[in-house]
Amino acid sequence: MSPRAGGPSVRILTAPSLHRGSRDSVAVIVAYVPFGLAVGAAMAGAGVPPLVAWSSSPLLFGGAGQLLAVELLGAGASTAVVVLAALVVNARFLLYSAALAPHVADWPRRARWAGSYLLADPVYALAAARFAGPGGGGRSQDRLAYYVGVGVTLWSAWLLLTGLGMLLAGVLPAGFRIDMAAPLTFLLLLLPMLGGRAAVVAAVAGGVSAAATSGLPLGLNVLVGAAFGVAAGTLAGGRRA
Amino acid sequence: MVAVRELAVLVVIGLGTYAMRAAFLVTARPEPPASLARTLPYVGPAVLAAITLPALLAPRGAVTIGDTVPALLAAAVTALLWWRTRSLPLALFAGLGVSALAEIVLR
Repeated sequence: MSPRAGGPSVRILTAPSLHRGSRDSVAVIVAYVPFGLAVGAAMAGAGVPPLVAWSSSPLLFGGAGQLLAVELLGAGASTAVVVLAALVVNARFLLYSAALAPHVADWPRRARWAGSYLLADPVYALAAARFAGPGGGGRSQDRLAYYVGVGVTLWSAWLLLTGLGMLLAGVLPAGFRIDMAAPLTFLLLLLPMLGGRAAVVAAVAGGVSAAATSGLPLGLNVLVGAAFGVAAGTLAGGRRA
Repeated sequence: MVAVRELAVLVVIGLGTYAMRAAFLVTARPEPPASLARTLPYVGPAVLAAITLPALLAPRGAVTIGDTVPALLAAAVTALLWWRTRSLPLALFAGLGVSALAEIVLR
């Protein structure tokens, strides 16, 4: 299963589902423009050398964790606090990893190691929607090609957008604020997932319990919301089945 | 002066984040235990709602009329437009526009 000598890797690079993934990403990228620019601008103002701050884009590839880490570093927080806070915020990737795993079990091991790097929120949202949809996203290499198309397109766009945001930090209008762009962008990742009553129950329980515990330190309320939401959704889904 | 500590911290977070992303993907089995498989479809809705709702209720860290009302209006417009048009960009930019307008009116 090793992608040598023009084997599977070439087939993946020419697969129609790679281009499909790339195409599906375009609308997401346009919707990510305000969020990406705002994350870049906020990182530029955090008091960390710009290139180091921007390196969080390839290193972390996730706006919420990057913003938190760079702002804490700029504020002079201790190493342990910065690492812990960012890892708690990024702990949701552990859940995405578990949720996506059944769909990638038949990929070559090397593809799963590489694909892990690309598992950000919008990549998960697009891949999960396609793999859970009609036909389950097709054969193994079609699913892999789609994932690569989505992941590489969104990754490139994210590096570009956050870099641009840093360069434009002084020029962006004052109304261009992260505190609206971020929740609306995540809302638009959420809405396509509300495909049934149990999913709605999971979202309501997750959102309400996270809001009710928003006083918790380190953003732990997101994990509380995740636990309550998944439990409520599972209960609601089980009862109907 | 290169910020070695800052860069090192980001590298450590990056490695930890990668490990969490890889944890289940690289150990994946085609047939997860049925009890686990039933919970997996709800990970996305639960996590994304847990991020979104608190941020909409308190965009700047506190629930206030000036912050919360524009955010909820923007979210309502975004959701409505997405359901009607299925266009992510249209829904997002309309929502951002509404939140900016509502803030001007409420200020």
